Amino acid sequence: MKVRRVTTTEQALEALAEHGSAAQPLAGGTDVMVQLSRNEISPDVLVPINDLAELSTVETNGGVRVGALVTHETLAKGALGSGYRSIAEAAHTVGGWQTQAVGTLGGNICNASPAADTLPPLLVHDAELELRSSGGSRTLGLEEFLVGRRQTRRAPDELLVSVGLTPGAPRSGDVYLKVGRRSAVEVAIVGLAMRLVFDRNEIVSKARIALASVAAVPLRVRAAETLLEGEALDGHLLDEVSAAVLGATSPIDDLRASATYRRLLVPGLVRRAAGVCARRAGVSSPVEEAYQ
Amino acid sequence: MTIVGERFRRTDGEPKARGEAIFGVDYLPQGTIHAVLLRSPVPSGRIVGLDVSAAKAMPGVRAVISAADVPDTRAGWVLREQPLFARDRVRYEGEPVAGIAADTLEQAREARDTIRLEIEETPAVVDLDYALSEDSPVLHPEWESYVPTLGEYPRGRNVAAECISDPEGVEEAFEAAERIIEDEYRVQRQYQAYIEPKGAVAIYQGGRYEVHTAHQFPFNVRDRIAQYLDIRPSQVRVIGHTIGGGFGAKLDASIEPHACALSRAAGGLPVKIVNTRTEDMITCPSREDAITRIRTGLDKDGNMIARELVVIAGNGAYSGEMPWLASIALHCARGVYRAGPTRVKSFLVYTNTAPTGAFRGVNGVYLYHAVERHMDHIASVLGRDRREYRLQHLFEPGEVLLNDQVLDDAGILGEAFDAVEEAAPWEERLAATAGPMKGVAIGAAWWVTNPMPGTATVKLNEDGTIGVITAATDNGSGAVNLGITQIVAEKLGVQPEDVYVTMPDTDAAGFDAGSQGSRTTRIVGKAASIASDEVIGKIKQTASELLEAAPSDIVIADGKVFVAGSPDSGLTLGDVAMAATWSVGPIQGTGSFLTPFPDFNPGCATGLMFPSFPTPTYHVHLAEVEVDPVTGAVKVTRYVVAQEVGKVISPNGVYGQVSGGVTQGIGYALYESLRIGEDGRYQERNLENYRLPLAVDIPRVEFSPLEHPDPDGPFGAKGVGENSVLLGAAVIANAVVDAIGVPIDRLPITPEVVLKAIAAKHSAAVA
Ligand SMILES: Cc1cc2nc3c(=O)[nH]c(=O)nc-3n(C[C@H](O)[C@H](O)[C@H](O)COP(=O)(O)OP(=O)(O)OC[C@H]3O[C@@H](n4cnc5c(N)ncnc54)[C@H](O)[C@@H]3O)c2cc1C
Repeated sequence: MKVRRVTTTEQALEALAEHGSAAQPLAGGTDVMVQLSRNEISPDVLVPINDLAELSTVETNGGVRVGALVTHETLAKGALGSGYRSIAEAAHTVGGWQTQAVGTLGGNICNASPAADTLPPLLVHDAELELRSSGGSRTLGLEEFLVGRRQTRRAPDELLVSVGLTPGAPRSGDVYLKVGRRSAVEVAIVGLAMRLVFDRNEIVSKARIALASVAAVPLRVRAAETLLEGEALDGHLLDEVSAAVLGATSPIDDLRASATYRRLLVPGLVRRAAGVCARRAGVSSPVEEAYQ
Repeated sequence: MTIVGERFRRTDGEPKARGEAIFGVDYLPQGTIHAVLLRSPVPSGRIVGLDVSAAKAMPGVRAVISAADVPDTRAGWVLREQPLFARDRVRYEGEPVAGIAADTLEQAREARDTIRLEIEETPAVVDLDYALSEDSPVLHPEWESYVPTLGEYPRGRNVAAECISDPEGVEEAFEAAERIIEDEYRVQRQYQAYIEPKGAVAIYQGGRYEVHTAHQFPFNVRDRIAQYLDIRPSQVRVIGHTIGGGFGAKLDASIEPHACALSRAAGGLPVKIVNTRTEDMITCPSREDAITRIRTGLDKDGNMIARELVVIAGNGAYSGEMPWLASIALHCARGVYRAGPTRVKSFLVYTNTAPTGAFRGVNGVYLYHAVERHMDHIASVLGRDRREYRLQHLFEPGEVLLNDQVLDDAGILGEAFDAVEEAAPWEERLAATAGPMKGVAIGAAWWVTNPMPGTATVKLNEDGTIGVITAATDNGSGAVNLGITQIVAEKLGVQPEDVYVTMPDTDAAGFDAGSQGSRTTRIVGKAASIASDEVIGKIKQTASELLEAAPSDIVIADGKVFVAGSPDSGLTLGDVAMAATWSVGPIQGTGSFLTPFPDFNPGCATGLMFPSFPTPTYHVHLAEVEVDPVTGAVKVTRYVVAQEVGKVISPNGVYGQVSGGVTQGIGYALYESLRIGEDGRYQERNLENYRLPLAVDIPRVEFSPLEHPDPDGPFGAKGVGENSVLLGAAVIANAVVDAIGVPIDRLPITPEVVLKAIAAKHSAAVA
């Protein structure tokens, strides 16, 4: 295995064009190095991209555009602002301080783990990915980008350059809730992101719900979103939303938790998330305190 | 006193922080070759074919050995039952079958892959109750031929050891009872999860074996190697190295004998073996899985008047030190509460799983979990306050135990309750945790200080510094680098940084029973203190001649030796050392120490291998928790410890041990388990799956040391290291039950266990 040194995005794209699927971009390396040591991947060429300054910026005028190399540490500190708390919360739970210091948003996206923590909050912010190859650029919604466990629509010669997020809205709130067996360095048993936008009458005008670790890829639950839109939050509605979430997901038994536990979690997480979104949006919440 | 009881930096701290310390796995003498073991992939089976010829022909390979190449003998701490390499049967997944040494680790691994091992699998015995039943296959059909090393004890079929105490009056007391409360608790195995996996370098030279290993008990490694290789113990020299943690798992030999046999087969080249983390986990002598069944008879006023405890604990496929520990059930059957006539039956059971072993607080953690959960259950059935009910039954000074051991100092228990009360008043904490999903619990324990022998030689160097030669091991606790060091520094009036203690070496120092059971500071500290007295006598003798004063008028302080009353006109310790060296000879002294077992009644039980608890200590813990009703996650919000220590030698060391023990107790209560699948394999096989708590999961422990100096201990010290782990599971489980109002009868209490319990309660309420 060779390491191909590059100093500009163009050089990186050339390297990818030259070696195709035999090349592996290396950002923070927190997935790549583990997968290499477990012989899960065997690239001929590693292309370290972590010095590409162009991919490390955050633009927040109007909408938000996040460079692929922005680290979880930067995101966890709230670099995207108060409209994107769910992303900060998710980044704050990616492993521990060490992984957050070097692990990147782009790496989390391109690795496409079913348990990737930043993906549910990116989904609720309608993330659009900018992919670039030496032949040009294209934009793809995150949902469309994710194909299966560790499978994406990224072509071998493409780099993820940046992630565009929908602009913040007044009277909106978002949240990411992660369930694990301990407080850090934990693969999500279930991760749930929610974003709610309310109108002046405290009616939900826009709803987004996405989950990690309940299917082969993190996914949005449109049926649940539809139930919420046009309604005021109440306990009964949230029960229906939970049922819709459970209907759309297929949790499994694994060493970390049983499918039964994952299903048991959903109603409480939906309630808590809705309560937090309402509070953050400044509207009244029907959710009892213990659940907040 | 200026050194004992004061805070100092540990002498091994800086080298560790700087990365200079050479841990066992770092040790790599020139010319070392590397070895791996071929381990059984199945928990139970007959070996029907083993062909190593291809491996021997692989590049770089220096030796390939299996049962055919080593003495046909069995070894063991308590029972000689374990072969070095499985001969005809494999009894647990991971059991060594062959060893391969090659120039590089890769070559050794590649050669291993070419070995043809054919095993005819047989059904694995996994379930403890089943193993005890007549239907179960017997793991060791030849069990009667096995030779015990310390005298015979009750065992047979799949019972690796049993301890039974059935005094008169138990049945009558149960018959007289107004009601009987009964519980059953189940606990999983716990991995010691030290940072440094097991490893060793062995060198065969001149008919002897030199073994380098980071080990808690070098002399035990020596003895085990001698058994396996059928040689005299003195043909083995074990040299200790800095340890990356042990917690009991490194008390018996593991891969050291294999490294020895391979070095000999490879013509004496140094052979290094280091476990991978998965090998380490699946073969580790973890804390045993166990079922405890406990029954108590109550009279019409709710007093406890009869008790029965039945313990079935997993031994794994071979015994290690476990038979020795089966009788601890007798000492903990009532916790620290009077409960009337008591019957105890403790069974240690063979299963086709890795041999279990010592883990800090051996047996005690799940015994106290059972006793204290049961106490809360009884109190709640009676509608009594849980603390008050405990105090009402608490052992009193002069308490006579089930083995007739007398606890003259049991009154310390009441003081410990008082100390916790001061830090966290019970009524106030009950009120503070009265809301939903909050809970509090209190529990108490007593425990042993390991009495086994140790020795130290103390020498005054010519520059006035002090050398201590001992095979005592600092397993990371600070027992040597703070404890013994501070004791010797105090005795000889020097600063701790002027005391150098050797690393263990079985050739150079006398027998030491290893870093276990909180013994090192007390036992070896006392031996070093006795040795220091001899040195002091010689210093005074020499100085009295130099200063022309009576030896009794000589004072040793602050590195100076002077006549009482005139500190300015004295000599340095170095002056005295030089003068002595060239007149009467170098100054040194030697001390040895052990604690005798307290008197007991040998007829009180069968299988009483651990007959009584020397140098008892007393403990009260209080925990508060908050349960997240959405996830079931338990957060320990407060943890209070009052603990009898005899005398605090090193405040940093003692607090470190207390918070470390509490951390492992929290891990055991809430996070950690090596689950054994139905196929006999561990489900958790690496640290990605095995859940250890992290710093963020642990509260700062509030600690009150209680000091009742022990006349035999150095400066009064009793054992401190082990015991803070004892009550974590007990008080946290009870606090969780208090919080959610549903009994939970197994460990660990994972979020899943809690949420399912809450959900079951809700659906029961709806139904
Ligand atoms: C101890 C530990 C704990 C962890 N805990 C969590 C956790 O709690 N939650 C979680 O979600 N993840 C966790 N991870 C996984 C990992 O840290 C994250 O997925 C992280 O975001 C990966 O980022 P990276 O920069 O390190 O990616 P890398 O390892 O460098 O790359 C990951 C993948 O993405 C590709 N890639 C990276 N950047 C680009 C790009 N710009 N364009 C195209 N392809 C690219 C790489 O080729 C590779 O396939 C953990 C990892 C470790 C080691």
